[in-house]
This record gives sequence, C-alpha cells and structure tokens, in this order.
Amino acid sequence: MSTWIPLWLHRLGSPPTFYAFAGRLRPWAIGLALLLGIVALYGGLVLAPPDRYQGDDYRIIFIHVPSAWMSLFIYAVMGVASFVALVWRIKLAEVVAMESAPVGAAFTFITLATGSLWGERMWGTWWTWDARLTSELVLLFLYLGVIGLYHAFEDRRQGARAAGFLAIVGVVNVPIVHFSVKWWNTLHQGSTVNLFGQSHIAGDMLWPLLTMMLATKCYYVASLCGRARADLLALEGGKDWVRRIAAGEAR
Amino acid sequence: MSRAPLSRACAALLRRDLVLAWRQRGDIALPVLYALIVATLFPFALGPDLALLQRIAGGVVLLTVLLAMLLALDGLFRGDLEDGSLEQLVLSPQPLAPMLGMKILAHWLTTALPLIVIAPLLASLLHLPAAAMPALLLALLLATPLVSLLGAVLVALTAGTRRSGMLLALMLLPLCVPVMIFAAGALAAAQQGLPWTAPIAWLGAALALAVVLAPLACAAALRIALDA
Repeated sequence: MSTWIPLWLHRLGSPPTFYAFAGRLRPWAIGLALLLGIVALYGGLVLAPPDRYQGDDYRIIFIHVPSAWMSLFIYAVMGVASFVALVWRIKLAEVVAMESAPVGAAFTFITLATGSLWGERMWGTWWTWDARLTSELVLLFLYLGVIGLYHAFEDRRQGARAAGFLAIVGVVNVPIVHFSVKWWNTLHQGSTVNLFGQSHIAGDMLWPLLTMMLATKCYYVASLCGRARADLLALEGGKDWVRRIAAGEAR
Repeated sequence: MSRAPLSRACAALLRRDLVLAWRQRGDIALPVLYALIVATLFPFALGPDLALLQRIAGGVVLLTVLLAMLLALDGLFRGDLEDGSLEQLVLSPQPLAPMLGMKILAHWLTTALPLIVIAPLLASLLHLPAAAMPALLLALLLATPLVSLLGAVLVALTAGTRRSGMLLALMLLPLCVPVMIFAAGALAAAQQGLPWTAPIAWLGAALALAVVLAPLACAAALRIALDA
C-alpha cells in the first residue's frame, strides 16, 4: 500500500488545502451534474417507453427515486462525518456534516413533494400514512432537528458537535422508525431496483434512473464544495490564509 | 483522594433530587393539570359523541401524557445548570452516566408517575372501555421511561443553548414515533379484544436497551454541550 493516499487525505483535512481543492472540484462537479442530468432527463422523458399500467405518469420516477436515494445517502454521509468529527475533532468533518444537512433536507423535501404528486395520480390521494412515506417524513424532521440544533448554539463548532451527536442518534433511529412503521401500515410498493439480484425494471427505464442517480451525486458534491468553502471562510475568519484570499479578492 | 462507593453516591443524588422536587410540590402538579386540561379540551373540539370518544380515547391519553412530559423535560437540567451543580456533577470523580441515570429516574418519578396515576381518570373521562385499561397502564409504564430517557439525551444536547423549548419538540417527536406506534398498537389491540402482549414486549425490549444506552449517550451529550 503506497503512503501517498493517507498523506493526501491528511493534507486535505486542513482548511486552506480543502478550500483550494473544493474550488477546483466544484466546476467539474457542476458540469458533470448538468450533463448527466440532461442526458438522464432526455432518456427518461423522451426515449423510455410509457409504462403499461401507469402510462406517462410513471416518468416522475426519474426525479422521485434518485432524490429518495440521495436523502438516505446524504444522511449516511452526515452520520459518518459527524462520527469522525466527534472522535477525532476534525474541523473539516464538522463542516461537511453540517453543510450536508440542508442539501439532504432539500432532497428529502423533493422526494416527499414528487411522491405526493405521483400518489395523487396513482393512489388518488396526496398523502397517506404509509410506512415509507412516514419514515421519509420522519427523516425530514430529523434533518430539520439537526439544522435547528446547529443554529441554536452561538459557538459554531460546539453547535456542530452537538448537532453531529443528534445526527448519530438519528442513524440509530432511522432503521427502528422504518421497521416500526412498516409493521404499522404499508401501501407503498417494495424496492424495484436491487443492487444485488434481479431488478424488476426494463433496461430502457433503468439506465436513465441510474444516470440521474449519478447526476444527483455530482450535484451534491458541487453543492457541498460551495457550501463548505463559504463555511470555512466564515469559521476561519481571522486566519492568515483567509486574509490572503480576501486581499486577493479586493485587488 | 478516596471516593465514596457508587451506590452511595447514586442514592445521595436520587435523594437530593427527590427532596428538591418535594420542596417545590407545586411544580409536580403542573404537568398533571396540563394533561387534565388538554384531555378535557378534546371532547369540545370533536363533539361529545360517545362512539368517537371511545375510539380515540387511548391515543388521546398517550398523546396528552407525551406532550405533558415534553413540557416538563425542558426543566430536567435547568436548575442544576443555573446554580452550577451540574458542572460539579460532571467534574465529580463518580462516573457521569449512572449519576445522570439517577437524575432521569428522579425526574421520571416526579413528572411521569403522577401522569400515570391520573391516566385512568383521563381515560374514563373519554370513556375508554375498562377492558383496555390494563393495556393503557402497562403501555404508559413502559413508554414514559423511554420518553424520559430519550428526552434526557436531547435535553443534555440543548443544555448549552438558551431557546430550547421548541427545539426539543422538533428533536424529540421524531424519536418518539416508534414508542407511540407500539403503545398505540397495544391499546388498539386491547380495545378490539385481541392479544396485546407483542407490542408491549417490544416496548419492554426498547426500554431495556434505552436504560443501558441512554445514560451513556446523555453523559456524552452533556460533555459536548458544556464544553465551551
């Protein structure tokens, strides 16, 4: 195992290095997100055939499902980053965890909104107290709790640690909520796309879905880079490297 | 420095908290009155229809008790935080988690236990069938300590902030969803004459887990919140 990867990761943990790295990464991530997003939308809205039972209504899946995946993925990232921040007290991990939360909350909201539009067409109701819908709503509340707790502290680093702790408590809670509401009431269909084993979806519909998943991932990376850069500048306000950047901007 | 055995320290802390609560007996009555008033407002809001009230009685009592506990939880560490004794507790040579466990126990005894005592009164105000009463009491006996334990972790997290009341609700209610589901599940089953031990057993399992883990989490959270 070569040593440059851990070394590089170690350096990336320092705010000025990450600031420069995120600045270089961000335009690429935005470009890739736009490109993949347009390809996926074209594939999903134009090329993919209409569904046998749902007609054209099913096409909302190309927004709904990738957003739902992202809402869970970002929560996982937030949980891992919070864990790293609490154990090793890395400033950058705190920033990543706290700046992921609003993006994740946005994806959760999109999932709920598109799901409710889809539900109105297919089930004839905007909202129903089904297991998956309810656990997604609880996930949104968890995100909002983390964001709220972060902003309740005057000291940002302390706020980030407290909110990170709440995020970890939520990681334990999400599966419990999921299985308890499943036991309670279920209407939503099961998973259609399985990572391991047979997926129950036609190839024409699967590739735009997976492309959109990559696009949302790229968007998340881009958004995180931008938000983390702004947050680092605010957090490190008095430091030398920020002063140099500010002087460069002024000139 | 020699230190007292843990059991003595726990007993002393429990006694101190109970004495403090007893000296301010009026505060113990407040959550009870709150629950009584909220429960009596339901028939006004929904109409005095007997069948409807019977159907919702169990859920209303559970929800009322949960809300009353939520209001009371806010004060779990407030007094100790203001006079600095919480920091002394953190600095003391005794392990923090069992100490906090004792504080949570004292808080449960002074806020949740009175609520459980009047729960049959609330339930009969709303015409809950007598057959469902044992399920209600057992569900409350297992669900309220769970709420206290979960809530204590979150109260510890918000200990360093000034405006914590609404925030506590936002954080606690999602965590209470499984507790609510199982408690209400037991009640609904009892009302329909079905066996209701399974959801109660789930609540008991969750409580066993929380009794072990929540004081540890609470101690970690308190260290974060006080570390300024």
